[in-house]
Amino acid sequence: MSAPDGRRVTTGHGSGGRLTQQLTRRILDLFNFQIEDSNLQIKDPNLQIEDSNLQIEDSNFQTEDSNFQVRDLNFQMEDCAFIGEGMAVSTDGFTVFPHDFPGGDIGKLAVCGSANDLAVRGVRPQFLTLALIIEEGLALADLDRYMQSAAQVAREGGIRLVAGDTKVVPRGAADKLFVTTCAIGKRESPHILQTSNLRDGDVLILSTSPGRHGAALAAARFGLEAPGLVSDCALLWRTLRPLWDFNGLRCMRDCTRGGLGTVLCEWAEASSLGIEIEETAIPSCREVDAVCDILGLDRLYLASEGCVLAAVAPEDGMECLASLRRSPAGRDAAVIGRVVAAHPGMVGMKTPIGGQRFVDMPAGEILPRIC
Amino acid sequence: MTEPMPEFSRQGFEGMRRRLEELLSSAGRPLTFMEVCGTHTVSIFRSGLRSLLPDGLRLLSGPGCPVCVTDQSEIDMALALAEKGCLVLTYGDMMRVPGSSGSLLDLKGRGARVEVVTSAIQSVDIARSCPDSQVVFLGVGFETTAPATAVTLKQALLHDLPNFSVLSLHKTVPPILRALSSNPALNIDGFILPGNVTVVAGIEDYVFLTDELRKAAAVAGFQPEEILAALVDLSSQVASNRFCLRVFRARETPRGGNPVARKILWEVFEPCDTRWRGLGRVPASGCRIGRAYKRFDAAERFGLFGLLPAPARDNGCRCGDVLSGLLTPPECELYGTACTPLTPVGPCMVSGEGTCGAWRRYHP
Repeated sequence: MSAPDGRRVTTGHGSGGRLTQQLTRRILDLFNFQIEDSNLQIKDPNLQIEDSNLQIEDSNFQTEDSNFQVRDLNFQMEDCAFIGEGMAVSTDGFTVFPHDFPGGDIGKLAVCGSANDLAVRGVRPQFLTLALIIEEGLALADLDRYMQSAAQVAREGGIRLVAGDTKVVPRGAADKLFVTTCAIGKRESPHILQTSNLRDGDVLILSTSPGRHGAALAAARFGLEAPGLVSDCALLWRTLRPLWDFNGLRCMRDCTRGGLGTVLCEWAEASSLGIEIEETAIPSCREVDAVCDILGLDRLYLASEGCVLAAVAPEDGMECLASLRRSPAGRDAAVIGRVVAAHPGMVGMKTPIGGQRFVDMPAGEILPRIC
Repeated sequence: MTEPMPEFSRQGFEGMRRRLEELLSSAGRPLTFMEVCGTHTVSIFRSGLRSLLPDGLRLLSGPGCPVCVTDQSEIDMALALAEKGCLVLTYGDMMRVPGSSGSLLDLKGRGARVEVVTSAIQSVDIARSCPDSQVVFLGVGFETTAPATAVTLKQALLHDLPNFSVLSLHKTVPPILRALSSNPALNIDGFILPGNVTVVAGIEDYVFLTDELRKAAAVAGFQPEEILAALVDLSSQVASNRFCLRVFRARETPRGGNPVARKILWEVFEPCDTRWRGLGRVPASGCRIGRAYKRFDAAERFGLFGLLPAPARDNGCRCGDVLSGLLTPPECELYGTACTPLTPVGPCMVSGEGTCGAWRRYHP
């Protein structure tokens, strides 16, 4: 039998789709216990676990599958967790290949990734931890370069490094450099942004064209020349901050691994509402379309690192859109669809020729096709 | 016979759709057409075209997904190469196809050396940079991709690469269409042929469908407008009982295909009988590496011809029936229950262009 023989981890488990959900669930199930004293005080009074409804996340833990009856568990699949006093935390590991790509490198990506997971929940990233697993033999000049780009983006974002760790492993035990970051910050949005806020009629706004990060990596990996194609990897909190104040803002998600399609499917499943989108309304990027054409990939499932989906109550939709469009990273923002009561748990898409089809979550690793 | 490309776009999309509706209602019976190529299958779903097609039209997906038709015994040969320690280079969507004991992706997870390439010629560079490894390229695909493998073999000969070989699993489409056309259980009224055929192979190899077998046939590009235009044309061929192979591609293409590619293909390969998954042995439908390039044949070099094919497990998989159009995916008992994209039982659910995978993704 193919992909999951069920006994080993495959690259498909890292793709952000169904297999990732299953792997995540397998781990989270072990942690699904009540903490006896729900008022448990950790020594530091600022780090109080709010209640037994521990909200966990990072972009690795952003999924839910009805097979796993997530609603019976305490874990909420969101981009970051609130841990008391409005403080929020997210963590993410980065293993990008190639380490350098047009528009960024693993250092920049590692800071943006964790910080953006806070920003989409109305949290301003303030503190960062950084753990490095370095393969023996990595050129110090390369390490310097990656850390300089991490430092530069942290400086631009006003994010302070507060803890860190370095480990060196023998040659072959890692691929040059693995980076794990944890971002911490304080919630500035007046209400908690979460998937359970979604309501029938909500407007879905996409901040920019999807898939530029994934397409840039795919082009680099497979030796395609794609002039003008640059990863969208960027810090988002300044772009998103104007939205935080809207009462009608329900939730946001950055379309990282698994892409826009996966976020849409997760929202539909988590809310038990339907989603309708219009293909022609999705902002497009010529270079991404070209790479998808050649490699047989779908821009709906390619990762972005600077593209956010936001759900907004209809009365605030147009103002949120206008507000996003005022920032450079959001100038192509568009309303791409709506939350609907029909076909709960499913995402429908109106195609350019006026047809209808469903959008499904990718199952495993997304591989280029033959012809 | 063939005719120049008709002007199909003049009526516009809605006009073509209405014309198709008229033709179908005047036909007085449902018409069954087969889209041969997996890229067509995906395009028909992905563009939403399927949701706009009138009643009375039955579209079957054919054996034109190279991943799906690769036989289990062929995957087993590729797995054997990886297990022997070869560096196996493959197009991406072959990674997940099940052999009798797992897939290339499974083997890679257990430490075997399997890498994805996007063009055959990359494998020559890889072989040159890894002189201590036996590098094997899996040649998969139809006459559209086989010329690229042929060029690669020519390069291997030119550089006299001792550590490079090709496992040729290439197949050609006309023989399988002949076999399907003569299957009375299928009752196919016509075929939609893939547009890239005209770019590489030319359409002359397919004229037998209209002229000899008197089936409707049309070549179409992968855009929904091009496919719809082909469907209109197929229906009117049936209605008028006059069969003629036309090309529906927005882009002008050479009708004779690419003569250089055709020449290279048959300089390097020679036709042979080969097995198609679920369809069995089809005469002269394979591409075997010819005498001049024999020393680059991985099957010879690693003694794979002696491998006895493992008996295909009777796991209820009906991919063969799906590939030959006898069954639509939801008619298979395993579809959506035992067989899903995460737990594929057969290759039609594995491949991005497989019929069952396409149904499942766009039509849950």
